[in-house]
Amino acid sequence: MKVTFKIWRQEGPNDKGAIRAYEVDGLTEDMSFLEALDHLNELLVLKDEKVIAFEYDCREGICGQCGVFINGRAHGPHDHMTTCQLHMRSFKEGDTIVVEPWRAASFPVIKDLIVDRSAFDRIIEQGAFISAKTGTAPEANAIPIPKAVSDRAMDAAACIGCGACVATCKNSSAALFTSAKINHLNGLPQGRAEEHKRVAEMTYQMEIEGFGSCTFTGACEVECPEGISIINIAEMNARVTKAKVLG
Amino acid sequence: MALNPLFFRKTIIAGTGLFLCIFLVVHLSANCILLLPEETARGLYNSYSTTLRESPLIKIVAYLLYASILLHVFYALLITLRNRKAKPQKYVMNHSKENSTWTSQNMGLIGTMILLFIVVHLANFWARIKLGMGEAVRLDAVGNVDVYEVTSSLFHNIYYVIFYTVLAIPLALHLHHGFKSAFKTLGFYHKNGLRIVAKVALIYAIIMGVGFGIIPLIVYLK
Repeated sequence: MKVTFKIWRQEGPNDKGAIRAYEVDGLTEDMSFLEALDHLNELLVLKDEKVIAFEYDCREGICGQCGVFINGRAHGPHDHMTTCQLHMRSFKEGDTIVVEPWRAASFPVIKDLIVDRSAFDRIIEQGAFISAKTGTAPEANAIPIPKAVSDRAMDAAACIGCGACVATCKNSSAALFTSAKINHLNGLPQGRAEEHKRVAEMTYQMEIEGFGSCTFTGACEVECPEGISIINIAEMNARVTKAKVLG
Repeated sequence: MALNPLFFRKTIIAGTGLFLCIFLVVHLSANCILLLPEETARGLYNSYSTTLRESPLIKIVAYLLYASILLHVFYALLITLRNRKAKPQKYVMNHSKENSTWTSQNMGLIGTMILLFIVVHLANFWARIKLGMGEAVRLDAVGNVDVYEVTSSLFHNIYYVIFYTVLAIPLALHLHHGFKSAFKTLGFYHKNGLRIVAKVALIYAIIMGVGFGIIPLIVYLK
């Protein structure tokens, strides 16, 4: 299988960067997209050229490291999928595949396809945890939680922090990510003790990191590998108001 | 507690937007008078507009309306500028239509078209009737200001008819996305409730778009 990759190359954060084309032969349909990039990098090594920098870790669709913009879509042409789960069979012989890093002021490019997503970490640091003592896990039945409540918390907790929501959003809004982290904990009894503080501080951090506002285009929930619903954002909005009134 | 200083800008846009949605219902209902036979329409329309102009309550509502439009536009502009700053570099290739509607991606552009419409609309009616600019407006047989004549003569100009009818399209698009999003911005997160809101938004937008778009045409053809 032969394709043409058009890949964003950028030496460093202050470099201008540009798209470069690479014709790659010897691919198979069963290769994952990242394996195709590995293959291209091996060819570049043989030619003594600089390899393309891209991020990955688990290659199992659960770590959230491997986000890139492929042919105009976050994580490639499919809905609800990470880049590592995308395979070359999704493309045709002779296709041109445009690969770009996540674009957002809050996600500056470090090199090539790698962006700095530490803005997410700083949002997490503001309250996506509970101030419980560490130690042995408490007895599971000590706090009864209705199934519906735990299901909703789990749905929100599924967020892997890949940044596709920010990448695809025309406003680079981090509302889906932040709302998932807030609703995951605020819905559960263990998280409720600090709910107003958590909402206030996490949404505040989200704003000062320079992410835009949510205008409910709904693009994020389509690109989200975990299919996290934008209803979470509406719920976060309600929680912000509640924190304002009660907090 | 440090609460988000910017978060409530969206609340203002949503709140004023919903208020304007209610206003449009009243406005379209009144416009339906124009569909009646000419003499009945003239009498009813002129007495209705005279009642509105003389009511102190409507005066308050009118100021609320002006304030809503200004706040809606002002905060939308602020947020849009900030949103642009949040995404300084666009993608070389972006297939946003595969994950969202064109309308939702272009609310600012559509809103600007509506703002242009409002300016022309105010110049046609508000400036002439309330500010007395341009050609003086006559009184009708019972001594009311003949607003019907202003409307009817405007809608016998084909260029204005086209302008009013065509700009009902961006209005409908804006209302469809705006109505359902306002609920989410204001924190309504009931799953089935939001499904109903989405359906209501579609029906509402169609009624408003078709209603405002077709009445000038009917008056022209009458």
